[in-house]
Amino acid sequence: MVLQPECTLADAAELKGALCALLAHEATVTLDGALVDRIDTAALQLLAAFVRDRRLAGRAVEWRAVSRAMHSAAQLLGMGSMLSLSEAAQ
Amino acid sequence: MTVDLTQFHDAFFEESFEALDAMEAALLKLDIGAPDPELINTIFRVAHSIKGGSATFGFTDIASFTHSLETLLDELRSGAMAVTDQVSDVLLKSVDVMRAMLRAVQAKQPIDAQRVSDLQFDLEVIIARKHAAPPPSAAPQAAAPQAAAARWQVRFRPYRELLARGNDPLRMLRELGELGEMQVRIDAQSLPALTDLQPQDCHLAWTIELSGEVPEEAIRQVFDWAEGDCELQIGRTAEAAAEPQVEQPPAPATPAATEPAPSETVAAQADSQAEGPPEAPAATGAAASAPRAEPASKPEAAVSAHGDSGSIRVSVDKIDELMNTVGELVITQAMLSQLGGQFDGPQAEQLRAGLAQLERNMRELQESVMRVRMLPISFVFSRFPRMVRDLAHRLGKQIELKLTGEQTELDKTVLEKIGDPLVHLVRNCIDHGIEPPEKRVAAGKPAAGTVHLDATHRGGNIAVEVSDDGGGLDKERILAKARARGLIGANDTLSDAEIYELIFLPGFSTAEKTTDVSGRGVGMDVVRRNVKSLGGKIEVSSEAGRGSRFTITLPLTLAIVDGQSVAVGSETYIVPLISIVESMQLKNGNVSRLSGQAEVFSFRGDYLPIIRLHEVFGVEPHTRALHEGLVVVAEGDGRRVGLFVDDLLGQQQVVIKSLETNYGHIEGISGATILGDGSVALILDVPGLIRVASMRIAA
Repeated sequence: MVLQPECTLADAAELKGALCALLAHEATVTLDGALVDRIDTAALQLLAAFVRDRRLAGRAVEWRAVSRAMHSAAQLLGMGSMLSLSEAAQ
Repeated sequence: MTVDLTQFHDAFFEESFEALDAMEAALLKLDIGAPDPELINTIFRVAHSIKGGSATFGFTDIASFTHSLETLLDELRSGAMAVTDQVSDVLLKSVDVMRAMLRAVQAKQPIDAQRVSDLQFDLEVIIARKHAAPPPSAAPQAAAPQAAAARWQVRFRPYRELLARGNDPLRMLRELGELGEMQVRIDAQSLPALTDLQPQDCHLAWTIELSGEVPEEAIRQVFDWAEGDCELQIGRTAEAAAEPQVEQPPAPATPAATEPAPSETVAAQADSQAEGPPEAPAATGAAASAPRAEPASKPEAAVSAHGDSGSIRVSVDKIDELMNTVGELVITQAMLSQLGGQFDGPQAEQLRAGLAQLERNMRELQESVMRVRMLPISFVFSRFPRMVRDLAHRLGKQIELKLTGEQTELDKTVLEKIGDPLVHLVRNCIDHGIEPPEKRVAAGKPAAGTVHLDATHRGGNIAVEVSDDGGGLDKERILAKARARGLIGANDTLSDAEIYELIFLPGFSTAEKTTDVSGRGVGMDVVRRNVKSLGGKIEVSSEAGRGSRFTITLPLTLAIVDGQSVAVGSETYIVPLISIVESMQLKNGNVSRLSGQAEVFSFRGDYLPIIRLHEVFGVEPHTRALHEGLVVVAEGDGRRVGLFVDDLLGQQQVVIKSLETNYGHIEGISGATILGDGSVALILDVPGLIRVASMRIAA
């Protein structure tokens, strides 16, 4: 799944819908945050819940790439390890 | 599907307008050359927050403009640029432009793009010029160390609605990161399952360790915008380190980690946990390497959360509804009291005691609800420092503005409507009242004129005074102008008070030349009309060479009026106490009949016309003989009349019901009320009544 350049509260419901659709996906879900230009707490919170819920259900999530903007936002919020962003290429 | 952000617009606009007021006030306090870094910080933060909020809501024009503004402010904040007169002017203009933009967006009107881009250009020129020139030698110590090097621990626990209010913790943490070196720990224990997660709700909390020479105030200001939307604890690490882990705080002081918000959130939380996978929260707890707080601490957490936020925003509609219900209760209570008086028997005494208690409680309830609607008049006064500064600048006068009684409270509706009349009055004082400096010095007065705004409670009313120490009203010029306009006859002689009254006539203006400040003749008559529409009155006094004083007397609220009930035949009318001078019984001797049918009576050396209420309203009176009834001397628009009535019934507070909404406007009547016996009484509008009566006499 490729994240949009604008990941903010205004589009958060859309993001939630997309993530929910992937929750029960059996195979590994690959997230791509390379295009993310602007991201806020609301969007990161959704991603955090998604990653956590997948893990709890024993299903894998991995990152293909993460933009600098997204990486620094997640670090600022102390979410790096929750999202397992460190594994992702910038 | 997207989150409808428009539901949060109102809160954003309201907060932004408030913030702009604060920014303006801070700008006015800013000393040229040696600005207070804290003030610059305040100003910066307003721009920064509005930028963030407008970006969130997609108001790109505002976001773009505030971005330029923020860049300039950042230069000031870092001390790379000095605060000059020019900078201060541009910043003040920016406040105006931002206000205008916000208003336009709020009203869904187009933004005045030219004005915005002109000013944005000015801002950018100032920034560019700074980069071209070397920075000022004496850079202000914007980042002056005010605290010893220390480690701070900040616990930041947003309430759910924080995000929805346009606040983003990311922005705050970023700002915090600019203050010093920062380590952030997130607490995601309360984060529900994705399927239960409302995207606009915030379920996260943070503990931040900040090292560096940072004053506590600076940290607090980062969270200024979120005040009331979060729990915030700031402490030195030394103390904080002695405390247990953030996830297991001692219950009363630090609310339990799992429960971020007031009780309704607690309930919702419990629901979502019940519906969601039960292991989810526990597992997150493990992820955050801490056990869950016991449910037992929930109520305490909720209480503490409430205690932290000192106020809540409530829509005016809700308060009006409450007010309305209280009004109905007052009427019901009056009915019961009247009924209670008719009972006899052993339990009647008990009943009456209960009713008396009810009446006391009702009055308290009514007062409490009214107080909810009260705001300090400083909301209106706060716009004047800026206005006076600009006007004085434009007119080349020196003005000192004195504000007193700013904490005097009055009803929000009255408050909103009194602003414009006051602006007119203050403008008039500055434009017409205060003389140019040279003229003042020649007259032996200080070069700077004083305009004084004062508010005080007087009985059940509030008096707002606008006075100046200028030249005072020029009686000769007023008379000459009134004669030239045919407002009075060439040979009429008028008392001082009557002369001053002339300035309230429509189309009257004595300014020798029309300025863009005042003097178009639409001023004082509009002021009087506005004040009157609020059930108030305006009076003027003046002394040549010493200045003039305008006094506006207003009721504290528009919902309830103190009235004197009078009987005319079988009808009851309410005369507002504010209009009554006194009541008296006439003797046959002091009534005379003028030519035509006008009756007058002598009252303290004056002759006042008598208005027979039964004639005006077509009611059959108990008596037509003047000496058998009573006369209520009432005042309106500076004129006094005697209202002839059968009897005075008593004074009481009555709840005003609008006639216009329920029926239609009637000249001479300002509204209606329901009396204790269930009957309806009309509330008299004395100035309107005088007009009706004089038309009858003329006819």
